Amino acid sequence: MDRESTLENGGVSRRTLLAGAATGLTVATSGCVRQVRSVVNRDTVDHLSVSIATVPADGDRESVQIANLLADNLETVGIDASVNLLAEEEFLRAILVNHDFDLYVGRHPGGTDPDFLYETLHSVYADEPGWQNPFGFTSMTFDDLLERQRVLEGDRRRDVIERIADSVAAEQPFVPVCVPDENRLVREDRFDDWDDHLATRLGYLGLEPLDGDGELRGIITDVRPTQNLNPLSVEYRNRGTIVNFVYDSLGTVAGDEVRPWLASSWEWNGSAATVTIRDDVQWHDGEPLTAADVRFTYRLLEDTSLGDSDVPAPSPRYRGQSSIVDSNAIEVHDERTLTIPMTGSQNVRERAFTVPILPKHVWTERTGGATVPGLPVEQATTTAVVAENVPPIGSGPFQFVDRTGRESILLERFDEHFSRADDELPEATVERFRVAVHPGSPSAIEAIESGSADVTISTLEAYSVDEVTESESVRLLESSSQMFYHVGFNVRNAPFSNPYFRRVVARLLDKERIVDELFGGHASPVATPLAGEWVPDDLEWDGDDPSVPFFGADGQLDESAARTAFEEAGFRYDDDGKLLARY
Amino acid sequence: MLAQLLAQVAAVVGVLLAISIGVFVGQSRLSTTRVEWRSRVRDAAPIAVVLVLVLLFNRTARETLPSLSWSIGWNLTSTFYEIEGQTVLLFQEYATPELTAYFSYVYVYGYVFVLIFPVVAYFALSDTRPLRELLTAYTLNYTLGLLCYVLVIAYGPRNWIPDLVETTMLYNQYPQYQELTGEVNHNTNVFPSLHTSLSATVAMFAYRTRDVYPKWVPVATLLAASVAVSTMYLAIHWAIDVTAGLCLGAISVVLSRRLVGRWSLSEEFDDWWPSLRRE
Repeated sequence: MDRESTLENGGVSRRTLLAGAATGLTVATSGCVRQVRSVVNRDTVDHLSVSIATVPADGDRESVQIANLLADNLETVGIDASVNLLAEEEFLRAILVNHDFDLYVGRHPGGTDPDFLYETLHSVYADEPGWQNPFGFTSMTFDDLLERQRVLEGDRRRDVIERIADSVAAEQPFVPVCVPDENRLVREDRFDDWDDHLATRLGYLGLEPLDGDGELRGIITDVRPTQNLNPLSVEYRNRGTIVNFVYDSLGTVAGDEVRPWLASSWEWNGSAATVTIRDDVQWHDGEPLTAADVRFTYRLLEDTSLGDSDVPAPSPRYRGQSSIVDSNAIEVHDERTLTIPMTGSQNVRERAFTVPILPKHVWTERTGGATVPGLPVEQATTTAVVAENVPPIGSGPFQFVDRTGRESILLERFDEHFSRADDELPEATVERFRVAVHPGSPSAIEAIESGSADVTISTLEAYSVDEVTESESVRLLESSSQMFYHVGFNVRNAPFSNPYFRRVVARLLDKERIVDELFGGHASPVATPLAGEWVPDDLEWDGDDPSVPFFGADGQLDESAARTAFEEAGFRYDDDGKLLARY
Repeated sequence: MLAQLLAQVAAVVGVLLAISIGVFVGQSRLSTTRVEWRSRVRDAAPIAVVLVLVLLFNRTARETLPSLSWSIGWNLTSTFYEIEGQTVLLFQEYATPELTAYFSYVYVYGYVFVLIFPVVAYFALSDTRPLRELLTAYTLNYTLGLLCYVLVIAYGPRNWIPDLVETTMLYNQYPQYQELTGEVNHNTNVFPSLHTSLSATVAMFAYRTRDVYPKWVPVATLLAASVAVSTMYLAIHWAIDVTAGLCLGAISVVLSRRLVGRWSLSEEFDDWWPSLRRE
């Protein structure tokens, strides 16, 4: 109001000016007003203050320690940082569903094929809930590369993936910190043949019982599977090991390859697969499993409302896999065969066979919007995504019997499962599979060593691995790991939208020391989210991060180097040494 | 595993009770109790029933209350840490394996004993008022504590700075106890410390009944102090939780004194259950 009248006065002054009176003074005044306006109309720039979301030490002791280290280093370089502890499901809901975070420290499920970066970073997923692009990262160049690696094969794909890896390392939409060793403890006096990966269903099939007891006793250190068994729930699943006992997928991961499982075979015709489902497959409730269930599953993953909602409601899990499939063009030929059109090269396409197949007769009823009387619910929230799904009706080798919240889950062998009739396939050799929740790895180790359990399904936490006493009957199993610890940025908001800023923050992390001290050496520091043969030569770990090396040495942060780097990235400090930022 | 542990706790506490009944209560009180127990039970029954109901509610609510907390509660772990910093680490400086063992046993066995013994000891008195007040104070502790748990979400030091408290953390040294405490409590429920508030309640009652049980006063005080320190030493609670626990204990004691006898619940109880009157 005041400003307008001043301007009006200015206008009057100009007329007066034209009249030729009191010239010098008015000109000076109007210039002054303009200057005042341009001074006061600048927003004040605030001290940057950030919150780092992570989970409490129960169940994942390292994340909160990485978060504390990062917070300390951020404080040192003049950024107010606080750590925000959230229960695992609350944490995942905050970062993956509501995108309500600045930074977070957590575990990423990773992936065997580099195509997992497609859902992790493609712009199209920036607004979707789930592990697909929780960072909100958008880049046209990137999208183009991600799409190209899907369709290319051999060396040409490798080249593109190398470029993707280099760009990820340069842009740091998230900071991969380290890959923890996957250690589990098994007892070998009751069961033998622990040779498949224990994060997959095959790990628990084909075991050789030694003393005739029909019960396998597993331990998890996570209460969530006792509360919710929905394969589509992103808040309650890490890798879905438990739900994968109950559900089958067309193919199952065995080492680096996808092997036929629920499908007896698939044939490629161009990029479309004609899939044949095994004979006489049943759901746990006795209904027959048909090709229609398979088509239904892919359509449900694409849109859990099956087109009923105004906005599509894609599944927060298996999004990358379902994006390979053109679900609306799936053709069902008969009860057992169907043709699934897909995009991408064969390695990528076979990922699509790893999704759990869901029974149409159970999940059709879950396509409606979830409601809570009296509370507003986000539009694209269907019952399918939020249902607890207890009891789960699957077709897998084990069927659900009972659960006790926060304590245990009891499964029993599904005698009608196709693996029982096929000698080629590993089958469930135990009648019952009891999964008990333990509060932490030390108590899990004690249970295995004292003989009251056979296997730790959850991996042992790094700090507890050295406590293990191996014996004739107790063996520590190390398996390959694809999961990695990382620091995620919410790049939707300044200053994290600035890659130069993210790079400097990444350089506050001493990954080598984190691995040595927090993980006791039971992890490997990494510079890229890709694993194994896919790591480009220039991103191999060589004592420090080749792209974002730590500021300083031996865990000692070089404060002035970090501050200079922020200044070089265009940020300023105030007199108190606090970093200023518009956000 | 859990059953074994419970049996162990029951056995240890049973022995402690037997000894302390002999030492503090004495033969003559036990003889009068044998005569008067019916009327004493009748007097204390109403509040005992209320306490049991609160405990049962506590147990069933364990499943659902955390989600309610996440919806309406304040998440205060970082605030606590900002306020008190590494105060709890003071105790770490004096850590020895013997001390860790002592505090661990106090936290588990000592606590259970310190809660049960006064119930027995006051039951052995002809005047049932201390017993009724004690049970009322327990009920208040649990009720107000539960309310705080719903409103405040906070994780203890072991969840926030696990590296700094590694050597004394209860569940590192004695992982089996985590199963036991997990049965009773949820890891977001640290404010206030009910271990502290209930032990402090017992110590305050011991002081008030010092004329009847003079020898119990120093023992109760020592145990209550040990329990309070143990929660910090073992990295389960912040100093703020312990302070709040002391306040909650004091509030419960004061309120119980005012509430008991204000309404004669036992008379109404008699109307409902006249059969108990018959002797």
